[in-house]
Amino acid sequence: MDFWLHVLNMIGLFVILGLSLNLLLGYAGMASMAHAAFFGVGAYTTALTARDLGLPFPLTMVVAVAVTALLAGVVTFPALRVRGEYLILLTMAFQMVVYGLMLSWVDLTAGRTGISAIPRPRLLGTTLVTPAQFLPLIIVCTAAVFAVAYRIGESPLGRVLKAMRDDEAATLAIGKSVLRYKVLVFCVSGGLAAVAAALFAHYQAFINPFSFNLDRSIFIVALVVLGGTANLVGTVVGGILFVGLPEVLRFLQARQDIVDAIRNLLFGLLLMLFMRFRPEGFVPEHARARPPAPPRPAAPTGAAGAARPPVPARPMPARPALRAEGLRKSFGGITAARDLSLTLLPGKITALVGPNGAGKTTVFNLLTGFLIPDAGTVLLHDTDVTRLTPWKTVRRGLARSFQDVRLFERMTVLDNVLTAIPGQPGERLGPLFLAPRHAAAAERRNRDKALDYLAFVGLRDKAGEIASSLAFGEQKLVALARLIATEADVLLLDEPASGIDMHWVQQILDLIRRLAASGKTVCIVEHNLEVVTAIADHAYFMEAGRIIAEGRPEELMADRRLAEIYFGTARP
Amino acid sequence: MLALAAQLAANGLISGSLYGLLGVSWGLIFATTRVFHFAHALTLTVAAYGAVIAVDRLGVGLPAGFVLSAAIGCLFGVATERVVYRPLRLVNATQLNVFLASLGFLIVGESAILIAFGPQARELAGFPISGIALGPVAFTTVEGLWFVASWALLLPLMAALWWTRYGRAIRAVASNRELAQCVGIDPERIHVLVFAIGSTLAGLAGALLALRDTASPTMGVQPVLAAFIAVFLGGIGSILGAVLGGLVLGLAENMGGLVLPGHWQGVISFVVLFLVLVFRPSGLLGVRAR
Repeated sequence: MDFWLHVLNMIGLFVILGLSLNLLLGYAGMASMAHAAFFGVGAYTTALTARDLGLPFPLTMVVAVAVTALLAGVVTFPALRVRGEYLILLTMAFQMVVYGLMLSWVDLTAGRTGISAIPRPRLLGTTLVTPAQFLPLIIVCTAAVFAVAYRIGESPLGRVLKAMRDDEAATLAIGKSVLRYKVLVFCVSGGLAAVAAALFAHYQAFINPFSFNLDRSIFIVALVVLGGTANLVGTVVGGILFVGLPEVLRFLQARQDIVDAIRNLLFGLLLMLFMRFRPEGFVPEHARARPPAPPRPAAPTGAAGAARPPVPARPMPARPALRAEGLRKSFGGITAARDLSLTLLPGKITALVGPNGAGKTTVFNLLTGFLIPDAGTVLLHDTDVTRLTPWKTVRRGLARSFQDVRLFERMTVLDNVLTAIPGQPGERLGPLFLAPRHAAAAERRNRDKALDYLAFVGLRDKAGEIASSLAFGEQKLVALARLIATEADVLLLDEPASGIDMHWVQQILDLIRRLAASGKTVCIVEHNLEVVTAIADHAYFMEAGRIIAEGRPEELMADRRLAEIYFGTARP
Repeated sequence: MLALAAQLAANGLISGSLYGLLGVSWGLIFATTRVFHFAHALTLTVAAYGAVIAVDRLGVGLPAGFVLSAAIGCLFGVATERVVYRPLRLVNATQLNVFLASLGFLIVGESAILIAFGPQARELAGFPISGIALGPVAFTTVEGLWFVASWALLLPLMAALWWTRYGRAIRAVASNRELAQCVGIDPERIHVLVFAIGSTLAGLAGALLALRDTASPTMGVQPVLAAFIAVFLGGIGSILGAVLGGLVLGLAENMGGLVLPGHWQGVISFVVLFLVLVFRPSGLLGVRAR
């Protein structure tokens, strides 16, 4: 009996570890091989504060959570710049360093001997010793961690994490500080792992380094991936299956090491088969069917949705919205932009044209902070934004789209747009946990707003679909809705009409015209000269990183010299 | 003090040469196929067990045992690529998923070896072990063999990669798979080729390690971790970098003790890796940042 209660307790602890890692791995898309190290740091902190400082139980857990979260936050900094295999390796290196120190820093950790006689916790007048006595406490903690992880994962904050996972650059381009969210999710993940660590240390009353090695880290990652990334129910299922079920093998009539080997063999086999045949895990991210968007009184719609853009028309000041002066940028010996100056007027559509490789996208990158110019300034409403990071530039009201769309592919169409809305209280831990009603009310308002933006581009009925399942033309429209949702008033559109058929082109051009008419400042990069003449009020002609002409599009088109540059030969 | 430093440097060069060999064998596969081939450790182990069993039970001579370990390594590595990785590539598995499948395969293999042969370590016997003194430094004949064998394998391989047609094809696929395809190179064949070369080297390294450190089910993990470190230290895609990374790693492990407090010694290699990834992610000789 006690044995099965013990198994239940271990399932609870591993579920906590899995849930905490799922936030990092499943939601934020950062594969960390260091989770056992955080688990270990939490356990040693608990053991030492309980035994040597004599702190009572809940306090030891609080200290462990704080210490581990802090350490996780510090460790994050090197991890911020790397992705993919580099992150795996970096976290693995950290794991090995922490494990090695647990083994060899004998003064602190007692090395392989480990720390024993960790005081048992006293709760409600009883001292917890047996598995049965621990069970309620572990169940309560597991449920609490699940609630916290769920609250974070399925909130506007979780939405930003998923956006970051799907496309970091696009997340910056909708005005979210990727850095802030990475540090945050590492801290939260580490802190929650320490909850399991504190319980583990008190429950075993003894810890040594071997519980916190690389194999353990790998096991936790496998548990999360097999259960289903970005789905917390999947992690609970994973915990039960991969911690609980193998214990049945104990009743095989064989030597203990052989039984362990058989268990490992089955686990490894399962891991291989899942990666091949069901990589999304037991309970996939979008396991639940999403409710369709709620019906709303239909706005008077034309073919392309709402007649007016859902943005208040502003009085058009005569002052330029954006002025760039003398921008220059070189990469090594190549000058991608030199002496670039341009002005964008509110309510007007300006086009950047020129042959391939003229540096048009580079201009967008320079204006929005994705590249920092070597010289020159960018003034947005007379404030200098030259050196602001991309997400801050967006917050000031200057946003850009991407040539290759870059939607958050695994998120729904609605979530793609919803994420871009600025100033959501639910993106911060404080309001999320301390002012839930305020956060919920804001979420309802923002949801309606996002649906309006989708209605504007004519895609309201696709709100519940996964972005990657849409046709390319529709994806471009979602990207446009997402851009509008940033509430920026200067919009830079990188080839908004390329790669799609005429039907979509007309619709997108119509939308862009209406955006300008509502007072937005619009700048497009476009190859299709017909498109440019059709909608642009003013055009800059670029060649080899410089602006060599400007004027009305028709005038530029009539210039034989420019036509020659553009087509490589004069038009007949 | 100086004698100690010389001895430590010699130890560092010996293990560093072997790390360089392992680094090249793993790095060649990684740079070309982008498979984070953790199960390289299994190739090494399987080949070492093959040699031990052939020499110990079947009475094969030690040189033949080495040839056998190379052959087993080669076949096992190629089979791994075809059976484990190719199907994953066909379904566009993410890098993390390939990594986990590789780990799963390693766990399966280690467990199977443990069930079949038991957990005890097995020695590859038959090599005359004695001490050699060379000026201020001393080492064993096994260590001498490690050093000589590593360079005897590394130098021709580096030359072949640089000057032969296949070497150029491998480097072409490593630097740009699509472009290589455009000039008529079949990347799938190159994948098999690099797995064959890398796994042959891993097999030989397995036998070399079993000479001194004996064969056990988990014997491959530490050497392959050293291989990762050598590769990332030197820079992905650079063969010379992997060799250099291996030497730096060997020297750092052995000589770090002169300057660092005791309890950091066991983790020097990972501290080095951590620092390189943080401050110079492209590695010492790497061309490709991040």
